[in-house]
Amino acid sequence: MKQEELIKKWLDNDLNSHELEAFKQLEEYAELVRISNGVKQFRAPEYNTSEELKSTLQLISTKKSRTNNWLKPFLRIAAILAISFSVYYYTTTLDTNISTLMAQKTTLELPDASLVSLNAESTLIYNKKAWKNKRDLSLNGEAYFKVAKGATFNVNTPEGIVSVLGTQFNVKQRHNYFEVVCYEGSVRVTQKLNIVTLKPGESFLIINGKRIAKEKETALNPSWINNESSFKSMPFTQVIHEFERQYNVIVNPQNIDLNQLFSGSFSHDDIELALKSITLPLNINYSLQNDATIVLSHN
Amino acid sequence: MTKNINDNICNEQLFSSVFTKYSKSLHDFLYYKFGEAFNPKDKAQEAFIKLWENCHKVSPSKAKSYLFTVANNLMLNEAAHQKVVLKFQKEKPKHYTNETPEFILEGNEYMLKLQTAIANLSEAQRTAFLLNRVEGKKHKEIAVLLEISTKAVEKRIYGALKKLRKDIKEL
Repeated sequence: MKQEELIKKWLDNDLNSHELEAFKQLEEYAELVRISNGVKQFRAPEYNTSEELKSTLQLISTKKSRTNNWLKPFLRIAAILAISFSVYYYTTTLDTNISTLMAQKTTLELPDASLVSLNAESTLIYNKKAWKNKRDLSLNGEAYFKVAKGATFNVNTPEGIVSVLGTQFNVKQRHNYFEVVCYEGSVRVTQKLNIVTLKPGESFLIINGKRIAKEKETALNPSWINNESSFKSMPFTQVIHEFERQYNVIVNPQNIDLNQLFSGSFSHDDIELALKSITLPLNINYSLQNDATIVLSHN
Repeated sequence: MTKNINDNICNEQLFSSVFTKYSKSLHDFLYYKFGEAFNPKDKAQEAFIKLWENCHKVSPSKAKSYLFTVANNLMLNEAAHQKVVLKFQKEKPKHYTNETPEFILEGNEYMLKLQTAIANLSEAQRTAFLLNRVEGKKHKEIAVLLEISTKAVEKRIYGALKKLRKDIKEL
């Protein structure tokens, strides 16, 4: 026991001179000292504190600048991403704009599979992104709609708003002219103070701000879809305008009563035939002048 | 004890003083515990860099514990308890020697035995024993360093000595 105490004290370098003598007398003394001396050769490699401190501080400062260097390209990438995203967002949320020129027709499908046929010189504007929440479009000109079932479908024109719940109808908005014909389902027309609900075959017509009653429509779809324009008791000026739009010509009427009513139709395919269709019944002469101008005159 | 107004070591001067105070102990501790295969110098440095990066969170009084824990974990991640073999420095040949070749040979043999015996010690025993014998640290200093009681240090060191004697005899 005494011996263990001595060794422990020796290990702690805590022997007084008296105890040291006693320790030296131990039979293990030589062995212990040998181990102790031998072990000293396993000393850890030199550690230069000040040198290590210097290199550590250096490393810390380079690390700091390295984070800055790393940040720069990251910021660049972030900027590019932000820009491209905003461009993408801007372009995809932009309104879709479709227009037809003179003598041109087109048919397009809206995002919900509703179909729109656009007559000559008409413009249709709608938003693809917002279509899911709001079926809202703007129309200038004439178009025929086959609306898929769903939420309220609004056609905004400068003259009034047409709202529907899945039907087929034709909207014609021209200068001083606004006509809605319902072919299937029902359509509500809001025009200034007028709110009218149209049943199939019924139509709503306003010329020069005056509401004009019309007979029941029997056709299944507007005639212009089949490349023909037909009129019933229509002021002749509207007929001329439509003719101009379909053939991309200028009609120059001379000494003709533009307010006389016209009933009939003209084809969109043959200008000679079409001219005859609208002039013969009213006893009017026509002459074609250099390609694009037509002069109408009484005999 | 003077109280520090800013209770962290983000200040470079304070950091340097902490470094000067603990870096050698930390390095020696890592070396004796894990050997040199895993770069105790680099690990000590890494621990100090970690300390710098987290200087807001570590108060000066916690710095030592933080350093030792971080460095120890860094080592453990790599070392995965492999056998630690320490190197001994070859004694420089004396100028004029009266030692017989047999004696030198026997000495070398003894050192090899000692090396194996040290490698066979537990990490705790080896660290405490070598810090005591090689670095000449008192039991109390080691106790503070390892955050254990003086009694436990004494036990480890004495246990290590006993084991070494036994192993050397058997080898």
